[in-house]
Amino acid sequence: MWRWVCVNCGFTYEEETGDPLSGIAPGTRFEDIPDDWKCPECGATKADFEFMDVG
Amino acid sequence: MNAPIARVLPPLEDLEDKDFNVFFMEREMRGRFPDPYPLLEKMRRESSVHKVEYNALFSDTPDVELHHLNHYSVFGYDACMRVLDDPETFTSWDAWKYNIAKSFGRTVTVMDGAEHKRFRKVLQKAFLPHVVQRWGVSVVQPVIDRLVNKFIDRGKADLIEEYTHHFPFQIIYSMLLLDPDESPVFHKLAVAQLLSSGGFPQGAEATAKLGVFFKEMLAERRANPGDDLVSHLATIEVDGDYLDEDVLISFLRQLVNAGGDTTYRSMSVLLTCLLKEPELLDRIRKDRKLVPLAVEEALRWDGPISVTYRGCVRDTEIDGVMIPAGAFMNVILGSANRDPTRFENPDKFDIFRERTARPLPFAGGPHICVGQHLARVELGRALEGVLDRLPNVRLDPDMPEPQIVGHTLRSPDHIHVVFDKV
Repeated sequence: MWRWVCVNCGFTYEEETGDPLSGIAPGTRFEDIPDDWKCPECGATKADFEFMDVG
Repeated sequence: MNAPIARVLPPLEDLEDKDFNVFFMEREMRGRFPDPYPLLEKMRRESSVHKVEYNALFSDTPDVELHHLNHYSVFGYDACMRVLDDPETFTSWDAWKYNIAKSFGRTVTVMDGAEHKRFRKVLQKAFLPHVVQRWGVSVVQPVIDRLVNKFIDRGKADLIEEYTHHFPFQIIYSMLLLDPDESPVFHKLAVAQLLSSGGFPQGAEATAKLGVFFKEMLAERRANPGDDLVSHLATIEVDGDYLDEDVLISFLRQLVNAGGDTTYRSMSVLLTCLLKEPELLDRIRKDRKLVPLAVEEALRWDGPISVTYRGCVRDTEIDGVMIPAGAFMNVILGSANRDPTRFENPDKFDIFRERTARPLPFAGGPHICVGQHLARVELGRALEGVLDRLPNVRLDPDMPEPQIVGHTLRSPDHIHVVFDKV
């Protein structure tokens, strides 16, 4: 199972849930999130996320 | 995880004064303030920033490392986030240089900017959610079984003295593959490190002795690496070099203190809340999907630490209050997590509450707790351990109810329970 994970804090983006508190609707693909979106946990940039196998 | 390693390290040296009661002193320093939240909310309503020291609001015992500074306290969710999300104005080094840097050394907690980002990324990798989930089975469950087996036949227990107080520390011993015979000294030194804030020389002594021990341990694991956490940290290479030894030693010092002490308190709060609501506990017993909701709500309702710190390095203002360069910022997470503008009916422990904001039990911004995912795994497993192993567990009607006390690190002193014998 592969997910986009913030390398600064470990926040794992789940496409099914999105990030509603930041205005990202459930079902939004990571690639479609605006570039100025920040990690909701630690404020890292979208570029600080890595696509990794989370088992 | 491997079994404990063969004894090739020198023994961990105990404090010189072996009669010095670390746990009693730490307990006294923590205070017994019953409920800081009404005052925090009153002050938040008056202003999001007050020129006051958080500790001084609740205790006559000064923090000898911090008391002399120019304190400002920040209340409410938005103002706290304003500080945590602006690491250029509110730095970590300018706050933690007075205590954490002395007690633990050069940890990621005291770093800022590019240095923080470089080390944080590497260390966080060892504590990503999918990594620590694996430890839940290999490390955490054996610790639960070992602890519960000691009192399961009695039909009663003090879940603080016999379960939560030891639980996270024993997990750390297992992660480090330490000799279980050394765990009492290790536990004592881990807690003693922060006694410097009370002016006790045993704080610096514990810091030095753990430093010697971890230096030997890193060298040994680097020479004979296994699949344990220290071997992993000792052999990581970044740009062709091992991570700086002083950073690793400091990280391990902090891990054994912060990873143990805060988690045991959160675990105690979680169990207290649920044991006081037997119907809810029973519902969770029957529907384990509710366990993560209970964990998250306990973390919000009375989180592992009520305040964190930052140093203001340039003149600024928050909500109209001028804050000068050099101010020492008390960021009151307990006020943020009970802010009624973000959480409806915030004083109620409600695992089914609507998700209206991200609680800040582990702070926020780039310095959010590295170990937060492990803490969640431990909390969930600890609760499931109680539900699985202690049938019909309930508060002991013949003993006082648990009372959560303290103003920075909050927990009950005892949780007396009875349960059906198997």
